[in-house]
Amino acid sequence: MMGRTIFIDPGRCIGCQACVSACRECDSHRGKSMIHLDYPDEGRSVASLPTVCMHCSDPVAPCAEVCPADAIQVTPDGVVQQADTTRCIGCANCVNACPFGVPKIDLAAKLQMKCDLCYDRTSHGLAPMCATVCPTGALFYGTLEELRTERPGVEVADSFTFGDTVVHTGVAMVVPADKVRWPVPGGLPVIEVNGVDVR
Amino acid sequence: MGPVPQSSDAPAAPAAEPEATAAAPRPRPPAVRATLVASAVALLLIVAIILGSRMLRNFDSALLPYAVATVFLAFGVTYRYTVWVSEPAARRLLRQGWRTLFSRENFRKAPTALPRMIATYLGFQKFLGARSTARWAAHQLLFWGCILAAVITFPLTWGWFTFTSATGPGPSYEMRIWGFKIIGFNSADVIGWALFHGLDLAAVLVIAGAGYFLWRRLRDRTATTGQRFGYDLVPLLALIVISVTGLLLTFSAVFLHGGGYEFLALLHMVSVVFTLIYLPFGKFFHIVQRPAAVGMQLFKYSARQDEKLFTCRRCGELVDTAPYVENLRGTMRDLRLDFDEWAEYCPRCKRVLRGSAYLTRVKRGFK
Repeated sequence: MMGRTIFIDPGRCIGCQACVSACRECDSHRGKSMIHLDYPDEGRSVASLPTVCMHCSDPVAPCAEVCPADAIQVTPDGVVQQADTTRCIGCANCVNACPFGVPKIDLAAKLQMKCDLCYDRTSHGLAPMCATVCPTGALFYGTLEELRTERPGVEVADSFTFGDTVVHTGVAMVVPADKVRWPVPGGLPVIEVNGVDVR
Repeated sequence: MGPVPQSSDAPAAPAAEPEATAAAPRPRPPAVRATLVASAVALLLIVAIILGSRMLRNFDSALLPYAVATVFLAFGVTYRYTVWVSEPAARRLLRQGWRTLFSRENFRKAPTALPRMIATYLGFQKFLGARSTARWAAHQLLFWGCILAAVITFPLTWGWFTFTSATGPGPSYEMRIWGFKIIGFNSADVIGWALFHGLDLAAVLVIAGAGYFLWRRLRDRTATTGQRFGYDLVPLLALIVISVTGLLLTFSAVFLHGGGYEFLALLHMVSVVFTLIYLPFGKFFHIVQRPAAVGMQLFKYSARQDEKLFTCRRCGELVDTAPYVENLRGTMRDLRLDFDEWAEYCPRCKRVLRGSAYLTRVKRGFK
């Protein structure tokens, strides 16, 4: 987990799309929103899940590892940048290798784009656009201590399982304090889809 | 915190899978192999310079520093290229690209695909137009200016081109390559003028293109976000310095009777030599990398022609071509990213499935 980072609490998300709109205002990808807001149990539940880049720290950025053009840089503070426009060839390796389904791609422009934690803001001490506008605190930006000052006793997880692999991330997720299970299931292996067993 | 994850920083194990070792029975460390290959290429260039300049008879010793810089350039580019293509992702895609190019299906079904891609992708860079029309236009100016300059200067510094006049001071000249006469021209007419001022024309194109990009790097907030001086600005400044000092050389010759020529020539030479040596290590390396991307395009194009498509196992949305997904899974396995099965799901389904898992197993109902 990074020192100052985003903490995602899907339990607080009301699916209002404020983060999606605010993300478009980010200077590094103006006009295009990089945050994903999904409804995992659409039609049955109002549950919604905001997804920003998790800034994987171990293994370091699988997206960057599978990039054939060395286009994805990781800054010393652990932020995984979006693809360098000069180098990106639009092969979509990162899009399909990312375990969290984060990067987007413009096939005509042969360019990948993704959440870079609003690096133009966070590198200057400001909160990312999404966390700035989130009305419910589903997206919180700060240190774990700052989060705990606001929400005493809150527990967070920064590791996810994908099959037998554990991915540690720079961005963390809030988990219930009474049943902290490490690490958080990432969805693989796929066990069920909307109640239907697909094993 | 949490359970100890499995180690993922194991050294690149060449024996990850039999397929990976088949091509290289006794793999050398990439740095050693790269040094050997780069030295061989640099040596080859030296031999080519000696032979092409007719045993140095046509070699212009005033251009020696430039020629030496091109030898360093050849070494640097080859070194960096060899290291680059030894990484799993690049190696696999490059191999697939070549395999597709030389496949019978490609020759039979899409013989024009490669030339078309080279023209639209590498030449006219249509994809840049999809990013921004202004950036496309500026890059085209920069690109064609650099191509023109390279085509003129590289053979000149190697002593491959010569311009000789049988009539002493002209105006009729002969252009020779490797000593063979190619064309004769009159230096006073339009063709002669263009031939002798090709570098000035190139400089104008480059200044226009690089000037726009420099302006953008100073003003546009998308460009300035996260930009680095050494990576983003130095290449533009280098190109502008080369072009301006080059134009000033002509200015000095035409209007100042050669005043300040020696100083300008030195400044020009230093900027060119610096740029050539810097080329393999910074932003300019995309010049070498980009052509390799044509292989990736051909690989995907060929599979699409055969309708070998791969759809998401959950929602049926198109993921990519089937050979591409297989190739990516291989790359992920090479890198010990053992969740390659996940590549068979589209990004949205990955997020939704993670959401479902969180919903059912971590925080039921997100309460």
